[in-house]
Amino acid sequence: MDYVDELIVGQLRNKNERALSELYKNHYPMVLKLVVENSGTEDDAKDIYQEAVIAFYQRVQQADFVLTCKIATYLYAVSWRLWLKKLSGKKRFTLKVHETEQFLQVEEEITNIEDENKRIAIMKTSLEGLGQPCSSIIRDFYMNALTMEEICAKFGYTNADNAKNQKYKCLQRLKKLFFDAYKIVS
Amino acid sequence: MTNEEKNLLDTLHAYHAGTLPGEDRLVLEESMRSDANFRNEANAYLSMLRTLQRTAEREKVKGVLEKTHAELPAHSFKKSFRLPGANKNVKLWPAMAVAASVILMSIVGTFVMTQSVKDKQNAEFRELRRRVEQITKSQKAMMEDIAVVKEKEEIASSIYAGTGFLVSANGFLITSSHVVRGADSVFVENKKFGMLKAEVVKSDATNDIALLRIIQPFASTSLPFTIRKTESDLGEQVFTLGFPREEIVYGEGTISASTGYKQNSSSYQIAVPVNPGNSGGPLLNQQGEVIGMISGVETETIAAAFAVKSPVILEAINSVPADSLRKPLLMSTSNKLRSLSRVQQIKKIQDYIFVVKVYNH
Repeated sequence: MDYVDELIVGQLRNKNERALSELYKNHYPMVLKLVVENSGTEDDAKDIYQEAVIAFYQRVQQADFVLTCKIATYLYAVSWRLWLKKLSGKKRFTLKVHETEQFLQVEEEITNIEDENKRIAIMKTSLEGLGQPCSSIIRDFYMNALTMEEICAKFGYTNADNAKNQKYKCLQRLKKLFFDAYKIVS
Repeated sequence: MTNEEKNLLDTLHAYHAGTLPGEDRLVLEESMRSDANFRNEANAYLSMLRTLQRTAEREKVKGVLEKTHAELPAHSFKKSFRLPGANKNVKLWPAMAVAASVILMSIVGTFVMTQSVKDKQNAEFRELRRRVEQITKSQKAMMEDIAVVKEKEEIASSIYAGTGFLVSANGFLITSSHVVRGADSVFVENKKFGMLKAEVVKSDATNDIALLRIIQPFASTSLPFTIRKTESDLGEQVFTLGFPREEIVYGEGTISASTGYKQNSSSYQIAVPVNPGNSGGPLLNQQGEVIGMISGVETETIAAAFAVKSPVILEAINSVPADSLRKPLLMSTSNKLRSLSRVQQIKKIQDYIFVVKVYNH
């Protein structure tokens, strides 16, 4: 396996932002070419490529992740499948690369990415629907990993227990909003 | 919300974060395995926590990627990535400019070409029409020629024909010089005398007068008309007799100008209908005096014919040396037509008017 790729994967697992940035820079031209040559714009290329990179990044974080091909191949294949899906949605087909060209068994990957994106989108909507201060408390505690003390100070809660109780109520409400929306969507 | 529930949430949060101590984790996992309801509840929370984490992660990564994307030097991928159309701002504009100019040029070119084709078509059409006009003209001329030739064929096979009239009883007659131009042999003919061979005594191209002499013997009679020695006046009623066709044709009109073509002072302009073949015909006034000889027409103007003035004719006749005449040219001195009606005048005159046939072999 490519030594540089292994190094990058290792760094991504450590959530090294510089490694992520380098990875992004290294393979963007390839995907830009792919998308632009197939009826896409530069913005399309950017959206598609970022999806692929985020997917790769999250795959790398998983404990069972093993790099079985070059990073470039993964990014190319995923970007291509994502772009095909977007194109079929837009109904504008002028494909230069042949449909039969298969690089990986990426369908599962694409499905995972799509599910993930769907869940994240629902979560964002649910968080917005939660209103303040719940939305901020949840974000700070579960997403930004602030301690309860920091949250108390931020929101001016005199008692940490009050803040905790607020947090539990917010989480319960979020759970309801999230799963209701999720059921509707799926 | 009970404390139990609160504890569960904390436990699940710790479990999700991987900070739950080993013992508690085993207890939780055992509880989830054994209790389906609890498992569903716990999994729902865990799923939600995972999604929250992923959302946070994604937002963070997205931020990094956006920042990185903004840092991408625009020229770096242009260099490493030379593709037409890869960068619309840079790559497409020249191509688009070329395409646009090609389109523009083809539009303009098509326009210009169709215009020029249109013009050509118009030109062609005009030309064609002109040709048709020319053809019509030439056909007309041909038909005239044919008509003339037919006449001649019925009489004889002459090529050119005009009119001539006797100026003396002993066989001298005059006609237009252009009628006998280049003649090999000349014949004169009319109903009374039939066909007679003649010769050109003198041809004055300047005044368009030719003096002929009939060289065959013929019964000479005195002429009923005289040639006027002075010029006639403007507006005087005149008439002519000639052979534009096989028959002798009468035409009348007035003297409309005292000068001829291009202010030629030796001619009159006359308003008398004349046609090819009338050349050399006498122009007579009311009294039956010859006041001129038809010479031609102006093609551009309607009813503008020209006649050589009688004094010029006399001068031309008199200028001919007596030696070349072979016999004296005795001109009539008495006008016998003065008091006659036009019809009577014509009857008397027509015997002395001939078709002049010229053969150019």
